[in-house]
Amino acid sequence: MFSLPALLYLSALLFSIGIYGVLARRNILVVLMSLELMLNAVNIALVGFGRVHALSTTSGEHGGQIFTLMVLAVAAAEAAIGLSLLLLIWRRWKTIDLRELCRLSG
Amino acid sequence: MSGWLEHLVFGILATVSVLSSFLVVTRKNPIYSALFLVVMFAMVAGIFMLLDATFLGFMQLLVYAGAIMVLYLFVIMLINPRDETLPDEGGTSEKAFAAGVSLLVFALLTFGISNSDLVTEMTTPGGIPALAEVPATHGAIEAFGYELFSKHLLVFEVASILILVGIIGAVHIAMKQRPASADENDSNEERLVTDV
Repeated sequence: MFSLPALLYLSALLFSIGIYGVLARRNILVVLMSLELMLNAVNIALVGFGRVHALSTTSGEHGGQIFTLMVLAVAAAEAAIGLSLLLLIWRRWKTIDLRELCRLSG
Repeated sequence: MSGWLEHLVFGILATVSVLSSFLVVTRKNPIYSALFLVVMFAMVAGIFMLLDATFLGFMQLLVYAGAIMVLYLFVIMLINPRDETLPDEGGTSEKAFAAGVSLLVFALLTFGISNSDLVTEMTTPGGIPALAEVPATHGAIEAFGYELFSKHLLVFEVASILILVGIIGAVHIAMKQRPASADENDSNEERLVTDV
């Protein structure tokens, strides 16, 4: 089977692509999607570590997978809240441009 | 599954997921981003299944590619962004800054991975060994569910409370204002629109 570092490098690559999306894009929708991307990248690392850890235990524990399930729940809640905030912003200001929303900085 | 086939499948899944996530962050139209994100989620689900996390792979498909992406597509259709209303993306300096930061993070992460004692200790020459001594049901719904509802019950409860709070918050935030106070809200809205 493929090795653990290969998984971790893949996870790091996807995470950095997510960081690029969060920093470079002005569209709130795409920024939220990049956040999901970063959460997925972390999930890959968690499941990979959990899979290796399962080898050293007699019962084959699922700690990493349960952690990933928790991240899944957090991602679902984050998407729901973030998208409803986005709807509110769109209804009020008719824009999904992040730079137009930084009115607090003056 | 034999070794080389697993390598091949993992290589395809990894390549397609990296390519589609790159397309997610570079497409101007969010609909294309959302569609490439579905591809990326499906590839990650495949990687989970290769890692014997069968149940989690299906959850990934159901929750991410099913529920969350439908939510995104609904919002995209609701606000219906046309090309002229899409935000102008930043200039090259802004993109270069973002690319620099992400490359820096990637370099730091790869440095950390390649120098970590824990990772070297966990790495075996032929890749991750197959699960032989543990039950073959590892990652299947019975074993996973048994552990989730006995050893990690608190995690489950916290996740359920979190999702409940998320639902209530999303409904409250996205709810239309009550008609009784409509006048006040309209004037408020106008004022905010004028100072854009």
